[in-house]
Amino acid sequence: MVDNIMKRKRIVMIAVAACITMAAQGQGLLGGHVTGNVQLDGQMSSADSTIGAQDVPEKLLMNARADILYTNGDFSAGLRFEMYQNPLLGFDARYKGQGLANYFVAYNGERLSVTLGNFYEQFGSGMILRAYEDRYLGLDNALMGLNVQYRPVEGVTLKALAGKQRIFWDYGEGLVRGVDAEVNLGSLVKAIGESRFRATVGAGFVSKYEEDETVPSAANAEMRLNLPLNVGAASVRADIGYGNWSLQGEYVRKGQDPSAMNGYVYHPGEALLLGLTYSQRGLSASLQAKRIVNMGFKSVRSQSGEMLYINYLPAITKNHTYAFLSMYPYATQVNGEQGLQGDVMYKIKKGTLLGGKYGMDVHVNSSVVVGLDTTVTGGAGTEGYEVKGGLGETLYGDVSVEMAKKLSKNVKATVTYAYQVFNPVVENEPGGLHHNNIVVADVSWKVSKKHSLRIEGEWMGSDSHYDANDPEHNDRRAGDWVMGLVEWNIGTHWFVSASDQWAYNDGRGNYYNLSVGYTKGATRLQVGYGKQREGLLCIGGVCRTVPASNGLTFGLTTSF
Amino acid sequence: MKKIFIWVMGVMGVMGMGACDKIEEGEYTIYDGAVVSWTEGAAIADPVQRAYVEKYTGPRCSNCPTADVTLAGIHNDRVVVVAINHPVGQGMPYPGQPDMRTDGGTAWDQYFGINAIPAAYLNRDRSVQFLGEMGNIVSAIDAALGETPAVGLEVSATQGTKVDITVDIQFLRTIGSPLTLTAAVVEDSLVYKQLMPDNTVDEGYAHNHMLRKVITGFWGRDIEANGTEGEAVRGTLSFTPSDDIKTENCHIVVFVSDKGTRRVLNCASCRIE
Repeated sequence: MVDNIMKRKRIVMIAVAACITMAAQGQGLLGGHVTGNVQLDGQMSSADSTIGAQDVPEKLLMNARADILYTNGDFSAGLRFEMYQNPLLGFDARYKGQGLANYFVAYNGERLSVTLGNFYEQFGSGMILRAYEDRYLGLDNALMGLNVQYRPVEGVTLKALAGKQRIFWDYGEGLVRGVDAEVNLGSLVKAIGESRFRATVGAGFVSKYEEDETVPSAANAEMRLNLPLNVGAASVRADIGYGNWSLQGEYVRKGQDPSAMNGYVYHPGEALLLGLTYSQRGLSASLQAKRIVNMGFKSVRSQSGEMLYINYLPAITKNHTYAFLSMYPYATQVNGEQGLQGDVMYKIKKGTLLGGKYGMDVHVNSSVVVGLDTTVTGGAGTEGYEVKGGLGETLYGDVSVEMAKKLSKNVKATVTYAYQVFNPVVENEPGGLHHNNIVVADVSWKVSKKHSLRIEGEWMGSDSHYDANDPEHNDRRAGDWVMGLVEWNIGTHWFVSASDQWAYNDGRGNYYNLSVGYTKGATRLQVGYGKQREGLLCIGGVCRTVPASNGLTFGLTTSF
Repeated sequence: MKKIFIWVMGVMGVMGMGACDKIEEGEYTIYDGAVVSWTEGAAIADPVQRAYVEKYTGPRCSNCPTADVTLAGIHNDRVVVVAINHPVGQGMPYPGQPDMRTDGGTAWDQYFGINAIPAAYLNRDRSVQFLGEMGNIVSAIDAALGETPAVGLEVSATQGTKVDITVDIQFLRTIGSPLTLTAAVVEDSLVYKQLMPDNTVDEGYAHNHMLRKVITGFWGRDIEANGTEGEAVRGTLSFTPSDDIKTENCHIVVFVSDKGTRRVLNCASCRIE
């Protein structure tokens, strides 16, 4: 079957490539144009017992991809070639191989859009459907099928789609169907459009079909689960604003969906996402709340891991960028969680005591996520649990204060303090809560017109400790850490950076990195050498494991 | 505009009602057939590759007797045929005639998406469907019988107060994917009305190999083994035949299949002693 798919892909690839080539050669005749980008990442790693890095038998690992897009008026066609020979450390070994991973033809008219082939799509916040890819997570759940959008009048968008999801070099057996409607009332009703009131409302429904299979009942060996073959999820949403205020909300309900993710229980899914924001010149503030119950939604019920998710559950924690702030990222708990996030950004004016000559930006963010308050009523083949209104165990919490200030015409400094509480259970690991204090100082100095320097120092104090022989304490992130980084930009083309992360007290590990990069136009080449700490890489609450590595890395990106 | 909204909400309503199954509490689990008890087994002497033919048929199907002739011509101890009564249309029983439709057969029929009979599959390879007179199934069976068996499989059955079945399986090469064992009972010499190719109804038509019951779950029971070359396991299970089954006319059919693809690796059948 896979061979047939590969053969079909080859035929389509040749046909699409031939069309694009002919069209590109005849630009004057067809008037279209071709754009694209290429990315290549390589890695060489050798064993290092001090950090837990394993030897790489292939010596060289490589991920590469090239996207090519042809557009001609309302018509477009594209393809993406991918190669994983072999996949970089941390990427699923099932990616191994090369070939055409994505191809489509599309028509994008004023009122009607139609895509045939692979496509990405999102309904609302994505809680019932989000087909997307993230190359850094090794995640691609593109749909292969038909996607139609119709805009009968300005402000109204209707969507309908059907297809199967990509899983590595194949497509999952589950069939995904969905419809969505979104209406911008300001475009439809003149009085609203001319007022300070804004409102967009929407609703969507997604259903997946999957064949029956035998899943034994845990309670009785002669019984098997009576599985729902069609599982639906519906959502209603609104984005309402008045003046400087806006309120967003989405409520989702999912039917019975016993799966490997939830232990094959029949409890229905439910999710609520609320957000309130206020913004004015020099000040913005937001408050978000989220509660999800059994909202893992995949097109193949037996699938674990990050592939074949139909939906996406937005993270309610800040996606930190500094190394120690992001050392313990939060992974969304699809089976149930509830949380709050508050965020305030304020610009202290110039000429004030704190603002000084250039003013100062202050950014305060805090989030807390706890589990559900549940009473377990059974295992596979039962409702599973009852959900009560209280709070479950603490999963994650953090508060961070960031102050950024221009000290002179050429020097800018940012200081951040954060306090984090992290429960390893979010990574399915044992152990108690980690409590971390983190301080970051980041100074950028524009030395001259052609040279700039960035110096970063970080410290993290933690109550966790490392013990290789204790499963509850063998997390290599444990302990206290310091880090230094120097980054030198030479002219407009070159940069050099050096950094070192060192664990002390109850921690273990010394992770140094050297990196050199060259950028010209749309092309960037980077070569690095050093050690990578094992951990999790999370983007928007979706994570992949990053194993320890020790050696050379290189990357090339370009676009045309 | 109003019409568009009505249309959209209508479509969504239909999808909402029709594309979301609701399982009532108390029906979360269903009977899945007899449990297989696994113990260490013994090597199988002279293991052979057999061919498993699943034929979909019906009493109102005028071309089905022709397919029966084709399959009768090739039926031997290395070809195991199971005839499944299509659940709708030409599979519907004549008034007053026995209803040969079974829950297991219906599940298999739906899995293959059978929409025309006679139809047959060889070793549950979904990519090749044999239709009509099935002349081309002969060469396909010959090719399948020529393959080197991946598993050796033998079955025996004895009747006391219930029918006890013993299945011996030996892995002749290492198999990494999980396998299942499916057991069923088929009955010969069932006489009831059959539409013939000349559009007459033969009231004395003898139906053979008719599926009467899937003894294990429809999709089999997991084989509890490591799957390493040389490993042998013995599975035992039992069932109580219903009164309308004449066990003296029955065969027990067993087959080993890949749990994921459902392709059959080998099969065997025996009379009930």
